[in-house]
Amino acid sequence: MTSKVYVALRVKAAPERAFAAFVQEIGAWWRPNGLFQTTPRAPGVLAFELGEGGRLTETLESGKVFEIGRISAWEPPSRLVFSWRQANFPPDLHTEVEVRFEAVGEGETRVSVEHRGFDQVPAGSAARHGFPDEALLMRLAEWWRGLLTSYRDTSA
Amino acid sequence: MTAGFRSALFYQDPKAALAWLEKAFGFELTMLLEDAEGNVAHSQMSFGNGYVMIGQEWSADHKSPKSVGGKNTQTVNIQIETDIDAHFERAKAAGAVIVAAPETQFYGDRTYRCSDPEGHIWTVSQTVQAVSREEAEAASGLKITGWL
Amino acid sequence: MSDREKLPTIGALLWYQDPRAAIAWLEAAFGFETRLVVDDGQGGVIHSELGLGDGYIMVVGPPSGQAASPATLGGRSTQSVHVQLESGLDSRCEQARAAGAAIEREPADQPYGDRVFTCRDLEGHPWSFGQTLLALSVAEMEAATGHKIET
Repeated sequence: MTSKVYVALRVKAAPERAFAAFVQEIGAWWRPNGLFQTTPRAPGVLAFELGEGGRLTETLESGKVFEIGRISAWEPPSRLVFSWRQANFPPDLHTEVEVRFEAVGEGETRVSVEHRGFDQVPAGSAARHGFPDEALLMRLAEWWRGLLTSYRDTSA
Repeated sequence: MTAGFRSALFYQDPKAALAWLEKAFGFELTMLLEDAEGNVAHSQMSFGNGYVMIGQEWSADHKSPKSVGGKNTQTVNIQIETDIDAHFERAKAAGAVIVAAPETQFYGDRTYRCSDPEGHIWTVSQTVQAVSREEAEAASGLKITGWL
Repeated sequence: MSDREKLPTIGALLWYQDPRAAIAWLEAAFGFETRLVVDDGQGGVIHSELGLGDGYIMVVGPPSGQAASPATLGGRSTQSVHVQLESGLDSRCEQARAAGAAIEREPADQPYGDRVFTCRDLEGHPWSFGQTLLALSVAEMEAATGHKIET
């Protein structure tokens, strides 16, 4: 079993629109967080390459492109799974993010994010900042909640 | 839709609890219903934007922690904006049993935990700003040497 | 960079032997929407928030120390949660019953002007749900309940 951080909220949009806003407008709604910095020179602008196998990239000010992860499940408008790794993770560590879009009521979609495996960041890693599991996972949850809130405002 | 949530806490002596919670936490009694014998039928105490209901052990299954070996099946979290230390000192002076004294974790939280005279455990947290990576690392004493 | 939302001043935290099962059950039975779960990967839930309207509860477990689920206390509880709804009380009760909630008091109008039902959840935590039917003055409430009310 692996740790899971789950956050969810409702957006005022149909699943098709909610899915499109998530993958196509991530550059607009993404909010960087110093505790979960992807690369030393972040933040840049995030973008998905649409479709299974597509990359999630961050383009830095210098023009360099950092690969955060790859899409492993592409099921518009209901489900998306991609890997997530930061430059300061050990080489063999990949965490996973699953996003679900579920129609609820008229013109509303429940969007949930489950980020799995962050407890596997080793104790000595710079990516952990010395945090115990509980604090690390709580901060990750709070960050995703902030991200989803920003995303909700963009997708409406 | 709005839905209001309130915790109802069971006490052997709810009247004593009402007095203690006012003294220890500054809760304010906003409603009290007494039956003809002077027992507490229903009560509300407010704090901030919420309130709790203090009542008696009204069935064999609704018990004070004092009646079940100090166990708690639910607890109440109190979130305060400022001066958790003054809050703590006031509770301590009122006779709260301190389970965990206020301590700022290097990751930003400041919380204390205490139990009241019948063993209900209360967790009190002060709203804190999320710490930055730099602040957390400085406070945790970890030296981060560059990026992998 | 703070993403922390302003929290209500007072929040209820409920202990469960199997918090993952409890979260699923509370969604099905009471219509909660889970908005945050921090799962430690070892069967434990460190923190969670289940929302209903603009209120929420926290579900955690398995219990340790002085904490216990009613399931291991012979069905006894030290606190309960009351949920005050604006509408839909009777259908909420039917939804809870269908999910397996033990209804203890069927929906009924109370002399103080609320309609209320009570039940136990899958691990025995007691719940009450109320809906205001009409607003009464203190004098009317005293007359209705036969209790003296101090405000």
